[in-house]
Order: sequence, then C-alpha cells, then structure tokens
Amino acid sequence: MDELTILLVDDEQEFVTTLAERLEIRNMNVSVAMDGETALTIVEQELPQVVVLDVMMPGLNGLDVLERIKSIDSKIQVILLSGHGSSKDGIKGLKLGAFDFLIKPIDIDELIIKINEGWKKYCDSQ
Amino acid sequence: MKDGKNIVIVNKNQNELAFFGKITASTTHEIKNVLAIIQESSGLLEDILDMSESEEFKHKDRFISTLGRIQTQIQRGIGITSNLNHFAHSPDNERSRIDLNDLIKNLSTLAARFARLKKVELIAELTAAPLIVEANSVQLQMDIFNAIEILLNHIEDGTVKLILDKQDEQLKLNLQYDLLTDSQFKCVSTSEEWLEIQSRLLNMGVQIILLT
Repeated sequence: MDELTILLVDDEQEFVTTLAERLEIRNMNVSVAMDGETALTIVEQELPQVVVLDVMMPGLNGLDVLERIKSIDSKIQVILLSGHGSSKDGIKGLKLGAFDFLIKPIDIDELIIKINEGWKKYCDSQ
Repeated sequence: MKDGKNIVIVNKNQNELAFFGKITASTTHEIKNVLAIIQESSGLLEDILDMSESEEFKHKDRFISTLGRIQTQIQRGIGITSNLNHFAHSPDNERSRIDLNDLIKNLSTLAARFARLKKVELIAELTAAPLIVEANSVQLQMDIFNAIEILLNHIEDGTVKLILDKQDEQLKLNLQYDLLTDSQFKCVSTSEEWLEIQSRLLNMGVQIILLT
C-alpha cells in the first residue's frame, strides 16, 4: 500500500486548517486547499488517494471539482462534506462518483473511518 | 386556491415568505460553519490535552470537563440550526408532499422553548410508517404551532405529547396533556381559535384532537 495522502478542500480557512492539524496529530499526511482551482492543481501534482471536499464553495463548487478529479484519476476517492441537512447534494455527488458524504459539522472519528474506507477502496482498485 | 370543497387562501405573501426563508436558510449555513470551526478547535484542544500527561498540566481534568460542555453545546447548536434550516425551506414550494412525522419532529423542537417558558415538556410520538399529506407546509406548520400555543396559554407544568396516528385513512394528531383538567379541556376545545384551526387542518387532511 502507498502512504495515505489526503487533500482537504473547504473555503472556510479556520475549519480546514484546524481539521488538517487534527488529522496530522493522528499521523496522517494532509494537504489543504481553499478553493476548487487550487484543489485541482494539488490533485494533479500530488495525486492524493482521498479527497475530503466541501460541496458549497465560491467559484468551482464541490460537485464540479468532483467531476474534474474523477477525470484526472478515477481511482481517487472523494468524500463530500455538505452543510445541508438534506442529502440531496450527497446523492447527486454519489451519482457523480463520490465515495461517500458527511454532513457538517463532522465527527472526527467518523471522518477517519470514511477516509480509511476510501483509502482501502483506492488500494483495491489499483 | 381550491382545496377539495373548501376555498383556502394560502400564501398571499408567497414572495415575501420565500425571501425570508432564503435568507434564513443561508444564514443557518453560516452559523453551521461557525459551529464547525468551534467544534474542530475544541476537538484540537482535546487532542493536545490527550498528548500531555496529567502531571505536566495541572488543570487538565478541568479543561477536559469544560471542553465536554462546549462540545455538548455545539451539538445543541447544530440541532437547533438544522431544525431552523429545515423550517426555512418550508416556503420553497407552495404545495408539497409532507411526512407528518418529519414535520412534527421538527416543529416540536422549534416549539420547545415556548413550552419551556410554561415549564412544559413537548414530546413527539411518531409512527414507524410515513404519514404523507399534500399541503402548504407553512400553513400546516403555522396551524399546528398555533394549536400547541393555544393549549400552552391555558396550562403550566407537565408534559404535552404530540401523538401521530392514522385510523381509517384519516391522519390524526392527538395532543395529550398529562395534567389536563376538565375546565382547561373545555376552555381550549370550545374556543373559537381552536375550532377554526381544527377546521383548517381537517381541510388539509389532518384531524387534530385534544385528548381528555
């Protein structure tokens, strides 16, 4: 198995940097992006196995970014973060190839479980 | 708007309601983002505390218990904003298919503070199967809320159960107050406001009953 690298994408800087720090404490290798364009550049350069992606962002929204990530490397597993109580965005995302979705605010333990499941799926698809 | 045999005037101010709902829904997303940052920041503090030994950090236990209280309140805030978000989306469609279970669950939470001011606890008793009604969501919620408020105006202390049921294809919402007296029952159930609400709800397919 390759070493797990994760990309966190969210336009809320305080959220994404704090979450990254929490994952790093758990010995995870994390990059962050605060918009869709930067996220796609990092995806092309670093090819992370798992991307945690906010749906609602200014500019390129999460679902657009998801489609572009999948066209770069369909093996990359994307976990969507939605602020909505409803699962509409999540279902739309799953149809576009997302691995799973979580409702914000998230539980760190649940996120880690999803990340590990996504990583396993990535490795299985190699 | 024609609704069965009765003419029901709904949403004369649909545009205003839609605007109000849109802004409220958007604001709840912002509040959720704030709560998410507070949650992750307090979680990070917990992580850092977990990395240090008790001897190294004199007040570790007090910090952990305080962070626990912050986490509890974050969860409370998330619940409130989720309910408010759901409510703010009510005017999205003038008429929609609504599961009464979702509506009562949400409305009982939103009305909980009004009940608490009268030292009353609201409990929603839902059904396992969906109870679908096709109606104007704002009107439906407003009438059920007003019915609860009429009851609250006449009582203090105790518990009000909002019990959903379906009998012979009729959807029912039973209000059951554990300390109800005969005079309270009479005051509420014969009041003009209550009877009007009862009639409007029946036109929307929901029979509301104050249980004795």
